[in-house]
Parts: sequence; structure tokens; C-alpha cells
Amino acid sequence: MDVAKTSMDVSPPREKISLPSYFAIFFLSAFFILGFLLPKGAMSLAIQIMIFSILAMAYDVSLGFTNQCSLGHSVFFGGGAYGIVFGILYLKIGVLPSLICSLLFGFVLALVTGVISVRLSEAYFVIMTAIFFAIFHLLAMDMTWLTGGDDGLTMSLAPISLGFAKFSLYDQRTNYFFVFVFLGLSYWVLNRMAQAPLGKVFISIRENEKRACFLGYNIFGYKLAAFVVSGVFSALSGGLYALTLRYSSADFFSFTWSILPVVWCLIGGLGTLAGSWIGVVLMSVFQYYVSAWWTYYLIIFGVIILVILRVSRKGIIGYLAGGR
Amino acid sequence: MPETASTVLFLLINGLIWGLIVALIALGLSLIFGVMGIVNMAHGDIYMAGAVIAFYVTSLTGDFWLSLLAVPVIVIILAAPLERFILRPYEGYHSTSMIATVGISFIIQQIALGTYGGIPKKIMNPWPVSFNLLGVDYPGYRLLVGAISLLILSALWLLLYKTSYGIKVRASMQDRDMANAMGINVNQILVTTFVLGGVLAAMGGTLAAPINQVFYLMGNDIVLLCFIVVIVGGLGSLKGTFIAALSLCALEGVMASFLSPIQARAAIFVIMVVVLMRRPQGLFKE
Repeated sequence: MDVAKTSMDVSPPREKISLPSYFAIFFLSAFFILGFLLPKGAMSLAIQIMIFSILAMAYDVSLGFTNQCSLGHSVFFGGGAYGIVFGILYLKIGVLPSLICSLLFGFVLALVTGVISVRLSEAYFVIMTAIFFAIFHLLAMDMTWLTGGDDGLTMSLAPISLGFAKFSLYDQRTNYFFVFVFLGLSYWVLNRMAQAPLGKVFISIRENEKRACFLGYNIFGYKLAAFVVSGVFSALSGGLYALTLRYSSADFFSFTWSILPVVWCLIGGLGTLAGSWIGVVLMSVFQYYVSAWWTYYLIIFGVIILVILRVSRKGIIGYLAGGR
Repeated sequence: MPETASTVLFLLINGLIWGLIVALIALGLSLIFGVMGIVNMAHGDIYMAGAVIAFYVTSLTGDFWLSLLAVPVIVIILAAPLERFILRPYEGYHSTSMIATVGISFIIQQIALGTYGGIPKKIMNPWPVSFNLLGVDYPGYRLLVGAISLLILSALWLLLYKTSYGIKVRASMQDRDMANAMGINVNQILVTTFVLGGVLAAMGGTLAAPINQVFYLMGNDIVLLCFIVVIVGGLGSLKGTFIAALSLCALEGVMASFLSPIQARAAIFVIMVVVLMRRPQGLFKE
């Protein structure tokens, strides 16, 4: 009988595998080409997939790199969405400044919740972040004068001007490439971070927290840094989602947005950044097409989760790279 | 002001009785986590399944009390193979087991949605009597629920602390490898613990069904509350879980007298954040 006593649940692939980066390049170029080809319906699905991919990568920084299994990422996702809406509705600033406002929301929320929860050990950390989710979700539903509650707030977008050109997000293809640029940027930034010394420290904390501490690293500081980076990119994803729907409601704080990233990352593969995209694509395509002919498609999805976890605890990318 | 005093008393008793039901469910969760190392996200859905089965038994036979017998039997039949054939590989891996049970939770919810439907329904109050408690008419069924919960809880206490089975369960909770080495059949303990935890949750659902509405997503609200109760009480401390469930629910009940229900719930969570910051190991654990 194998009983794992270690705190490491899922240890991602040990060696630096290049598979995820090949996959990322393939994925990005495929989405660039698809941007010119896709019809309207499929394009909205593709936009959704790209936005969720940013959230999945952001979550991977927290769970995959530093082994912090947060259930509070809906706080940052919802915070980002409301950052955009508040910026446009209340502050009356343009789309890009509002996006910065939503990143700022994500930063502040992640810093405040992180300072309180990052210190705690595993199970307590999970529950503490889950409590933060619950507090923010309840407050968002209660404070209807600010958030619009379940009905939400809708906004209209002014065209973005970049000096040399003006474009409007109401055009779907423009929206597609707008999101695409942010996906590429996020991947580039996070991948650079993963390759840099900072990323190596994160991984050393994941592999053996005590040893990293003995080596003189400030564990709390690094874990908090990973948590905040994760929160900021989750907020970016939430902001882009609100921009695409031109709407935000208390539902953006719901538990769905906490649990989905965990599922994406575990299906695709932890600690690989681009691996989580496979989880996003699988789940979104599945939801989009299967839900059309069977209402209870989540049953199949539950079975798929169980099968994937049974075959490989490291997700699809981990399985392809040879680890089990 | 006697009027406010009696309102507060009413809400306090409501909170305490709800706390007893939550204690049932949370103790099941605590046992499953402590013995098996599974973060059971599907626990709330077993609670929901208990309520749905009670609904069907009541509408088929016209007798609510029969469901108190039928629910444990059905849950035992369903939960034992679930543990043995599906959950066994994930035991001891916290985050993997969490995702696996999320998958199971999807499956249970969608089956309930497909068979029972998405509209909340109510079970008729099976004991429409009310007692006069210090000038407030208090529904008799709620008091009865409190009594039944207390009965189940004391039976659980006897089982865990006064029988040889209980010693084996507690031994597996402390150190599973060692218990195995001492000749305890740990596999048997795993199956029975999961079934026991499932039955506790389902009984909570059955008892709560005539008080709350029966809805296929009703488990989602309860599962987080139960996790919080388990953590605040201290992981693996059954006494702590019991005390935490009662005190948190009573506190929420009292706070509901001057805050809106949503604000009362949020206030409880804020209190818990403060508690966990001061005592990260839980209130009742040395």
C-alpha cells in the first residue's frame, strides 16, 4: 500500500522539457492563423479559450510553480472584471487605462489576501483562500449599489486610439486579436519569469521548501511574489473577459472561477504554463459542442477528469513528456 | 425589550439546531479527511443526495420517517463501491483527490438534475406541532431534528470512543502505516469510514430537507461551511469540529437579528479569518 506522507501531492516533470514551449509556439501560431479563418460562432469560442488560457497560466504560477493550491482566484478574476467596469463607468477613463485599473485591483487584492494566507500551511492555506472567495462573493452579491449584484453592470466601449490607428472592440476580429496580443504578452512575460532566477527559486520552493529555506531564500517573500503575479494575471484575464462581454456581475466572483483553473491545470499538466492550455481547450470545446446535444454533459466531464487523473497525475503534457 | 430578546432567542435556537446538522456533516468530512486523506468536495452532494432520496421516499410512500431508514441503506450501497473502485488511487494526495471529488460532484449533481429536476421543491413538515418557548411559537419539527442529531452524534461518539472499531479508526487517523503494521485491516477501515462519513452527510440532508428547500445545488453552500468548521475546530479534532459547528452557527443566527443574512454570513467568515490568523492550527488543537 502506498501512502504518501509528503506534502508534495503532484510533482510535475523534473527535467526542463521543451515540449511545453513547442506546444506554446504551435498553439499561438495556430490561433494567429485561425483569427483570419474562423466564422463568427467559433470565433467567440476561440476568444473565450484565449482569455481562459491567461487565467490558467496565471493559476499555474501559483499551483504549478510554488505548490500553493488556492481556491481564491475568483476574487482576482472578479476583481479584474470590476476594475474594467468601474474604470469605464465610474471613472470614465478609456479602455486601456481601465485595463491598468483592473491590474491594479488584482495587485491590491492579491497582496492583501496573500499577506494573510501565504504564511499558512497547505490545508489551512486552501481553506483561507476559500474563505476569501466566500467573503468577496457574498459582498459582491450584497452591495448591489456598487456591483449591480446578480444583474450586473453593462458598459459601452469607446474606440481605442493608439495614436496611429483607431479601432473598436465591437468588431469581433479586432477583439480577437486584441485578446491574442495579451495572451502572447502574458505567455512571454511568464515564460521569461520561469526561465529567470526568480522562476528557479519558485521551483526550488515547490520541490523542497525546507531546503530552499536553509539556502537562505525568504520563502514567505517568494511565495507571496508568486501569489501576487498569479493574482495580477488572473485580473488581466477577468478584465479581458468583462471587455469581451461588455458586462460584469457578481457571478464573476462565483466558485466556478476558483475551481475551473485547478481543473484546467491538472488536466493539462502542472508547472508547464502552456500545458494548462490543453485543459482549457478540451473543456471549452467540450462544453461548447457537447452541451448542445446533451444537457447533462458535465457527467461526461466528471468521468473524463477521473480517467485523466487515473492515467497520469501529471496531466496530459506530463504524460506525453514521459513522466507518469 | 422582551420582544427583541425573544427574537434573539428564536434565532439562537435556530442557529444551534442548524449547528447540530452542520456538525453531523462536518464530522463526516473530518473523518474522511483524517482517515483517508481525501479532500472530499463531493461531500455536499452526498448531503444533497440524502435530501433528494428523502423527497422521493416521502412522495412515494407518503411517510417522511421511512426515509430515515431508507437513506442510510441506499447511501451504504452507493458509497462503498465508490470508495473501493474510484477513490482508492487518490487517497493521501490532497489536491489530486480534491479534483477527483470535484469530478464526482459534477456527476452526482447532473444525475440529480436529470432525474429530480432543477426546480427547488419542499417536503411537507412531517410533524406540524409548535411549542411555546418564552412567548415564541417554535416549530416542533426543528426541536425534534435537534434531538435526532444529538442522538446520532452520541451514537457516533460511542462508536468512536467505546468500541474496538473506534480504536482502529482513531489509530488509522493517527498513523496509517503503523496501524497497518499492527495488523489492523486498514482497507476495511477505509471503506467503512467513507461509508460512515457519507451516511452522516446524507442523514444531515434528510433531516434538513423539510426545513430547507430540496435543490440539486444545495450542497454547494454547505460544503464550504463544513470545511471551514473542520479547519477552525482543528484538523482531526472531532471535539473541536463539534464545538466549532455549534458556536459558529449560533453566532451567525444571533448576528442575523441585526444584519442581513448575507452580511451575517460574511461577518462569520471575517471572524474566521481573524481566528485563523491568531491560531493557525485551529481553536481546539494543542
